[in-house]
Amino acid sequence: MFRIFISMLLCCCISTAVWAHSSGWHESKHIRAELVSEYQQVMPGQKLLLALHFIPDEHWHTYWQNPGDSGLPTSISWQLPEGVSTGPIQWPTPQAFSIPPLMNYGFAGPTILLTELTIPLDYTDSSLPIKAKVDWLVCEEICIPADAELQLELTVGSAAVLFDSATALVARGKSSQPLPLAVRGSFDTAGGSFSAAVSGLPDVDFQQFFVAATELVDHAAPQQLVFSEGEWLLRQNLNTYFTRAADSFELVLVSGNGQGYSLLLEAVAESSPAAAAESTSLWLVLLMAAAGGLILNLMPCVFPVLSLKALSIAANSGQRAEQRRDALWYTLGVVLSFVSLALLLLALRAAGSAVGWGFQLQSPWLVALLAYLLFALGLSLSGVVQFGLGLMSAGSELTQSKGTKGSFFTGVLAVVVASPCTAPFMGGALGYAVTQPPLLALLVFVALGLGMALPFLLLAYLPALARALPKPGAWMDTLKQLLAFPLYLSAVWLVWVFGRQAGIDAVAVLLCGMVAIAAACWLYGSWQFSRAGWSRPLLAALLLLLSVGVLRLVPDSATPAAAAADAHWQAWSPGKLAQLRQSGKPVLVNMTADWCITCLVNERVALNTESSKAALALYDVTYLKGDWTRRDADITAYLHQYQRDGVPLYVLYWPGQTPEVLPQILTPDTLRQTLERLSNQ
Amino acid sequence: MKKMKLLALAAAAVFAGSLAAAPQVGQPAPAFTVKDSAGQVHSLQDFAGKNVVLEWTNHDCPFVVKHYQGNMQQLQKDLTAQDVVWLSVISSAPGKQGHVNQAKSDELTSSRGAAPTAVIFDEDGVMGKAYDARTTPHMYVIDKNGVLQYMGGIDSIPSAKVEDIQTATPYFANAAKAVLAGQAPDPAVSRPYGCSIKY
Repeated sequence: MFRIFISMLLCCCISTAVWAHSSGWHESKHIRAELVSEYQQVMPGQKLLLALHFIPDEHWHTYWQNPGDSGLPTSISWQLPEGVSTGPIQWPTPQAFSIPPLMNYGFAGPTILLTELTIPLDYTDSSLPIKAKVDWLVCEEICIPADAELQLELTVGSAAVLFDSATALVARGKSSQPLPLAVRGSFDTAGGSFSAAVSGLPDVDFQQFFVAATELVDHAAPQQLVFSEGEWLLRQNLNTYFTRAADSFELVLVSGNGQGYSLLLEAVAESSPAAAAESTSLWLVLLMAAAGGLILNLMPCVFPVLSLKALSIAANSGQRAEQRRDALWYTLGVVLSFVSLALLLLALRAAGSAVGWGFQLQSPWLVALLAYLLFALGLSLSGVVQFGLGLMSAGSELTQSKGTKGSFFTGVLAVVVASPCTAPFMGGALGYAVTQPPLLALLVFVALGLGMALPFLLLAYLPALARALPKPGAWMDTLKQLLAFPLYLSAVWLVWVFGRQAGIDAVAVLLCGMVAIAAACWLYGSWQFSRAGWSRPLLAALLLLLSVGVLRLVPDSATPAAAAADAHWQAWSPGKLAQLRQSGKPVLVNMTADWCITCLVNERVALNTESSKAALALYDVTYLKGDWTRRDADITAYLHQYQRDGVPLYVLYWPGQTPEVLPQILTPDTLRQTLERLSNQ
Repeated sequence: MKKMKLLALAAAAVFAGSLAAAPQVGQPAPAFTVKDSAGQVHSLQDFAGKNVVLEWTNHDCPFVVKHYQGNMQQLQKDLTAQDVVWLSVISSAPGKQGHVNQAKSDELTSSRGAAPTAVIFDEDGVMGKAYDARTTPHMYVIDKNGVLQYMGGIDSIPSAKVEDIQTATPYFANAAKAVLAGQAPDPAVSRPYGCSIKY
């Protein structure tokens, strides 16, 4: 009797315990499911794992986040007390299920899907009810959709207590997941195939990959995984139902022994590193421009004017309406001056590009000149040299003029008069604007103007502010000198960009040029004080010419030094191609770009191989390569000639025949076979 | 390293061979000549001048069952009333789920109140593979000129639940409407969802 009572008691304890931190098995057709908590007692502020445990019948499977050609990923909708939250499902490494002609990605056998639960610090209840509405599709060849509501009730206490029976399950769940890697790969979808490149991977022989994006790859198509020059290159045909790729998604790489590794793949940005700055949001740029304009007021040549104005406003409280009108006219004057500067600049730019002088930051020349400019302006702020002194003295009288309409011109002149101090900032804005689309450039200058006029506007509408203004003094000069350093840093950034484009030798040339600039500024600056003799400004001008001249030593289009060493190709130019064709030689043209993953994979897999090199040598083909990384205009024109807007483009010229455009996706045999065919015609 | 290269070469060779022509929206729809449940032969060119809808189906598939609660029949009635040719295609191989004979097919049509122009038997899967049909249901719209205008899912919520039909964006119905109005569907391609076709 007693023993029966004890065993009944035990039964009760166990069954309530099971109810609390395991949902118990939910039986469904061809699969059973349970939800298990990692902890049986939890505490506020804790994170824990919840395991959704599936045991499908043999040969039955559920689906991964990308289920492949059919199927549905398992989904969990959580019902939790307020403040309690869950993360996404942590998917195990998937398996591929081939049902020709289709392919599915999912999980056979016992499957553990972990989800992280976070309990807020201010959770006060003594229990934590968890409800999971789980939807799944389980398939063998036929499919059965089902759902279940799985519930847990955890006790909440001052200490967390592990649920021992769950420990092994959670550990198995974790070990079935791919190892997360911090590296990021890039991909593109040019030419009807998905191509990806990933470097920095562990030294593992990868056999298979899974993309988490749905309808991206043709799941049943063969996968290519090639290790070349420290990078893993992946390729698979695009899905028939592919429309647009996400910007980034998870990639799982699986090694020969079945271990998965996960990482993020990002769409390649079609730009050089220099263009990264373009992604800065418009508002931030405008805000910075306005702040820059505001800082202009603190410059030694502007601030005294501002102080006088402030004092006069504070003194004449009776003429408020007039003062406000003045302030508005002044603002208009300032903004319009800035806008006309911008228009002048844009006109120059248009004229420049019309004669083929590109203003893109992609051009190493422009980057070098901007680096010079910022450096020189920094030197000016440091006091080595003063730019625009003449303008200052000419205009200072005009700022004193009075009258409503006169305010407008006061604004205009304030811009001109202030130029010795403002030039460095203007230079920065100019440098930025030349690389931007016209509208953005204009907006930047408008923001700059508004920023500069802001104190006058504020003073007119809030006269009390005048008292808050600091007094003019030596601090202004210190500030000016301090502001030189951000400019030096900008110059450093540009030198880095230049180095990425042109290489370390070119950087040395550029730095020599900057030394020449420094010497020129120093000479000119010392002459500004004494105004004696012509030797110093002359020498300064010579040095300036020299600094620009040395840039000619930099190769126009830099080629990576490593590639040039054992290259079996030569740089493409329209002239070279025409010359080779005239002399009756077969030519292979390859148009490529650094950011084109498809191009990269083609080169490594199909063009730089021994068999392709041998074929090129056998048929005496000259291999010309054009680099479109920096959007060369000649190459753009060449691409248009073959109705293309982008790379890759491969054209094979065989004497006496029409040029043959090769497919965008090359296989190792494409080149050899095409050459064989052309030579036999 | 050498082994990898060889492997890549082999893979690439297979890869090159598998570049079969896939159906493409805006291009002529793949041709077909197939028999319907009554043994009558149909070819795509027979329907020149008419808009054609292709619906891949498998009456035992839960996703098909979801849409045969009324949604699919309604679409069939609405569209055939507007002179659209609606072909329900069964690509299940003999012995596999969804494969039916004439009697079963006729019984399904009448018991479900379905209204297709014809039910096509594609036992060998030739038509299904030509269209790269993957799931049941899987929908295609071909315009009067024989140009493929839409391919993909019936709607936007991939589930087997009837209640989701109401909240889903009806991609296929919208596409059919657009084609009837002489416009290009948007989206013209969507993700097909459902059971795999039992080729």
